[in-house]
Amino acid sequence: MTEAPSHLLLLGTLVALGAPRQRAAPPANASPAQDDGQWTIPAKDYAATRYSALTDINATNVKRLRAVWTFSSGVLGGHEGQPLVVNHTMYVVTPYPNVLYAFDLAQEGFPLKWKYRPYVNPAAIGIACCDVINRGASYADGKIVYNLLDGHTVAIDTATGKEVWKTQVAEVRTGETTPMAPLVVKDRVIVGASGGEYGVRGWVKGLDLATGRVVWTAYNAGPDDEVLARPGTFRPFYDRGADLGRTSWPEGGWKHGGAPVWGWLSYDPDLDLVYYGTGNPAPYNAEQRPGDNKWATSVLARRPADGSLVWAYQFTPADSWDYDAVQEMILADLTIKGRRRKVLVHFDKNGFAYTIDRATGEVLLAEPYVFVNWAKRVDLMTGRPEVDPAKLTGASRGTVKDICPTLEGGKNQQPAAYSLRTGLFYVPTNNLCMDYAAVRATYLVGTPFIGASTPYKPGPGGSLGAFIAWDAARGRKVWEIREKYPVWSGALATAGDVVFYGTLDGWFKAVDAKSGVPLWKMKVGSGVVGNPITFRGADKRQYVAVYAGIGGDWFLLSGDVRSDDPADVRPPADFMPDIARYTSQGGIVWLFAL
Amino acid sequence: MALRPLTAAPLLALLVTSAQEPVPPAVRYEQHVFAGGNPPPAGTLQNPFTGDRKAVADGEKLFGLFNCDGCHGGGAVGFVGPSLADGRWRYGGADGEVFHSIYYGRPRGMPAFGGILPPDAIWKLVTYLQSLEPKQDISTVSW
Repeated sequence: MTEAPSHLLLLGTLVALGAPRQRAAPPANASPAQDDGQWTIPAKDYAATRYSALTDINATNVKRLRAVWTFSSGVLGGHEGQPLVVNHTMYVVTPYPNVLYAFDLAQEGFPLKWKYRPYVNPAAIGIACCDVINRGASYADGKIVYNLLDGHTVAIDTATGKEVWKTQVAEVRTGETTPMAPLVVKDRVIVGASGGEYGVRGWVKGLDLATGRVVWTAYNAGPDDEVLARPGTFRPFYDRGADLGRTSWPEGGWKHGGAPVWGWLSYDPDLDLVYYGTGNPAPYNAEQRPGDNKWATSVLARRPADGSLVWAYQFTPADSWDYDAVQEMILADLTIKGRRRKVLVHFDKNGFAYTIDRATGEVLLAEPYVFVNWAKRVDLMTGRPEVDPAKLTGASRGTVKDICPTLEGGKNQQPAAYSLRTGLFYVPTNNLCMDYAAVRATYLVGTPFIGASTPYKPGPGGSLGAFIAWDAARGRKVWEIREKYPVWSGALATAGDVVFYGTLDGWFKAVDAKSGVPLWKMKVGSGVVGNPITFRGADKRQYVAVYAGIGGDWFLLSGDVRSDDPADVRPPADFMPDIARYTSQGGIVWLFAL
Repeated sequence: MALRPLTAAPLLALLVTSAQEPVPPAVRYEQHVFAGGNPPPAGTLQNPFTGDRKAVADGEKLFGLFNCDGCHGGGAVGFVGPSLADGRWRYGGADGEVFHSIYYGRPRGMPAFGGILPPDAIWKLVTYLQSLEPKQDISTVSW
């Protein structure tokens, strides 16, 4: 560990926003009663809590945490996502070229059991909008299931490392790539694709876990029969009418209207609903697509068996700012205004934190969790935001200045965690504002369909990010830790009352879950854009794992952080010109223990 | 998937060709190593619009209309795709080399535009890119 330079001391400073409230007992049925010490799906559990009941590492002893093992992935792309740990084996998926490693945690030095090296079409490199990242795998039924960047889903036999099946789900030539992590629900593998910058038509598919066959395809826009919005089954809380996914667009606009699925999935076994968010409507120039553009920038709840849409809610109708809604939907049972509710909690790119009844889609709370000025509030009667007309964008409006947050979002892909002990949500956030100059875009298959220039600037207060604790029952921030750069890593909460996250300048940190007081940190070799996990090893010790390896959107903006291309002499982003002082590219898997 | 018809009038004007050039033969890149010191035979392509300011202006319009800026950024300064304004060429910067990159595409995601753009329009794009003067002094330190 090294000391932070003195000019950094103001950052990482705890800002107290009131005493943490006393916590009632954890909600019933919110998580498995027994934590088996494994991490088998991206967000630990179907509720997407990223919460572990392990307590060996706790707020008292975490200061003794130390690195015990590392592995170089040899890949320079952004290391988003997280490892899995199943049956004392750790599985790591790299960014493109999407190699899958299986490490034997029962042997000294954690040697490789096998690795799987697929062919991945390099054309996907230039079609992926924002670096060649991969958000991880899911384990089910003796198989590791994940997506290759070039539009294929694969299932690998954990015993042998052999490919069980490989299914093409997306088409790179039309602008689709597949960096998201699939979720397996019973015998369905649920996948989606990226491509909101290429005018794709967004969808989710349900594959058969045993064979990889595509059982159903549900589009996020278009006529009801293709959206799988079936009469008698589809009951949105706020909207009425048939074919909303077609009539809320100009004629045919939904055919290349975006609404991709590049984020996280969650599942409620009692309600039998899969939840996911959709990305931006295409193009970014909103004047080319008058209407609400359903169901872009929305949360959709579907039946996993046949894909039927049960409800949907649109966070940002007629999106004018590229406010994708693909961020995770965390399922919790909260007491809101005196009433126990089954909710989902969602921190949207648009800057509002939503607490929604997950059976019906009714918005119970929507409060800003970062600085927001494009809307004044969300009307809970209609579910619609009250938009500031001065912040509406479009080709006829020229450059619209100082919109907060930016299209990077108050939060982007970096998933939050929910502690069943404190009842708080731990949220990595960005503090950036943007100008937005839209122009008319031409749709050409396989090329960008964007039509906007959107330079960023620091948000109020100057620090570019913060790690916050959020009370989703009351819609308020409890504490925040300001960070020099946007916080692009995910969060991990544990029953030891420790919360973990990483920073773009390469620190991996542990803080007190109740107070936010910093407890421990280590410089991990590259900026952290991955998501920490924790597990119990074969030796019964508790471990914490995380990827280092800056990338993702920051690959686009950081210029001289790139280390593999001597011809790349672009200047760094003007709003964070010095990031390359602190980090360079390169993937490292870290394991920590006491 | 069908292409949307290109109906915009200014677009059509830019696509009108004076002389349809045949598809060029393979070219050599300056960074190639030649076995035995002998380069393989190849034709050399010359940009017919070199120095033509109207072609530069047309090329700049095409750069936006055909979504080149979506990857390479406004002003071709680089975004997802590399900068085309810094004088650093991954596939060669000679006339025919840049033409080939646009006509046939490149393997890491650069689409082939030869199917929708006539050679003269591609030459106008080449002319525009060649008009972007790289800075003489590119800093090697960013802070």
